[in-house]
Amino acid sequence: MMLNIENLNAYYGQAHVLKDVSISANEGEVVVMLGPNGHGKSTLLKSLCGMVDKKQGRISYKDKDIIKLSSEKIVNMGITYIAENRELFPYMTVMENLKLGAYAKNARKHEKENLDKVFSLFPRLAQRKKQYASTMSGGEAKMLAIARGLMSNADFLAIDEPSLGLQPNLRMEVAKIIKEINNQGKTILVVEQNIPEIIDLADKLYVLEEGHITFEGSNDEAMSNQNLKEIFLGM
Amino acid sequence: MLIEIIDVIISGLLNGSVYALMAIGLALVYGVTKAFNFAYGSFYTMGGYFAWVILVQMEIPGGYYTVFLTAIPFLFIVGFLLEKFLVAPLRKRDDWQMKAMMLTLGLALFLDIGYMASFGPRLKSLPDIVEGTLEIGPLVFMKQDLVIFVLSITGLLCFAWLLNNTRVGMAVQAVAQNPAGAQIVGIPKERVFAATFAISTIMVGIGGILLSQKNFVNPQASTGIMIKAWVITAFGGMGSIKGSLYAALIIGMLEAFVGYYLGMIHIDIAVLTLLLITLAFRPQGLMGRE
Repeated sequence: MMLNIENLNAYYGQAHVLKDVSISANEGEVVVMLGPNGHGKSTLLKSLCGMVDKKQGRISYKDKDIIKLSSEKIVNMGITYIAENRELFPYMTVMENLKLGAYAKNARKHEKENLDKVFSLFPRLAQRKKQYASTMSGGEAKMLAIARGLMSNADFLAIDEPSLGLQPNLRMEVAKIIKEINNQGKTILVVEQNIPEIIDLADKLYVLEEGHITFEGSNDEAMSNQNLKEIFLGM
Repeated sequence: MLIEIIDVIISGLLNGSVYALMAIGLALVYGVTKAFNFAYGSFYTMGGYFAWVILVQMEIPGGYYTVFLTAIPFLFIVGFLLEKFLVAPLRKRDDWQMKAMMLTLGLALFLDIGYMASFGPRLKSLPDIVEGTLEIGPLVFMKQDLVIFVLSITGLLCFAWLLNNTRVGMAVQAVAQNPAGAQIVGIPKERVFAATFAISTIMVGIGGILLSQKNFVNPQASTGIMIKAWVITAFGGMGSIKGSLYAALIIGMLEAFVGYYLGMIHIDIAVLTLLLITLAFRPQGLMGRE
């Protein structure tokens, strides 16, 4: 198993956000996390990436316990977080944002090849190398955030609501890109419920409600669960 | 008449260059951490006393070469350790920027009283970096001023180069622009905070050495320096490095002109008037981002 989270509890200040959450992902899988907003999906991804201080439980990645590691060590081990609100460097160019994406030690060696890969995946970014991130449209900025994440040379991408703030036609594009990244061998944990094409890609789905995992199953199992389909997938 | 004006402009540039060196350090720390370092002026005094101990008290050979070669690592270590043990632990708490301001204010008082207790209230004089004057046509320069100018500009250029051309420099800018983004790409934020604090300590400490050998080492110098550095960063735009550079040159120039034509006594009032008018119309300062 590539990623295994067992009995994870996480807190924001006084709030107990994640309660005994256990999830796992095998290499090359697409794992989709569903659930209402504010019930802990982002906190789960951030905990995995070392961005939540107060947490207990076990998070093992490639058989190493990473729960106590700092975010920079986790990035260097090959896990990258792609934030829903993008978190770009606004007064830097596309190129500078991408280069900083390769800041981790293990990413530096592969900076050139990853840059080529990213530009072939996102030809539009190649045309806008010198544009400042703050002047980009929502869709372009989202592409840049995903591209910057890929620059880290990660094997495991934790993607937080890629559809947020995107027009429907761009959502299709995001789904295509996620599929392509997955085809390149990356394992993906994605919080997303507005893009049916991504749900179709899922090897496994989880539902997170009020900090608990309330459903775990394959795509087929999710589709045969009428309740889940209606509430979370709007079908 | 023309010579007079050129003279005043040159003296404005001289002031401006040292102000820039010192104010940019303060802007850097604010830009990266969004916390204001009130102890900043006290590191200016520390630079002066450091030079005095090396040159006068211990008479270590090598003159100002020794001073600069030892002061840079010394100031770096002092800044780094203070950040790591006093400021960094505050970051785990809510509203840490406010707590950091309180703590650095206490640190400033502690250091200033410490200088007074260790070295006494009397001013100390440092040997001149160079003596004599240089005449170019009708213009007469103190060689000392030229050295201050050249070293400040060199310091600024080194800083600008580091910030824009090195990985560490880009990491510093990344943390300043978006700390969460910096964490996502794996920049060790805590180390960047400590390094920024340490580098700013070097900048103001070197400023302290350069200006103290022209004036005196004064245990109470920090307040004046703190006010000046704050005025410049607020005028230029809190946290904006370019803004601080322009602000330092404008204020250096304003001081030179007001001092020459209206008298020294009007300098501070002129500078503060400029600050208040600017902030009334542009609260974010010349180049600050809202």
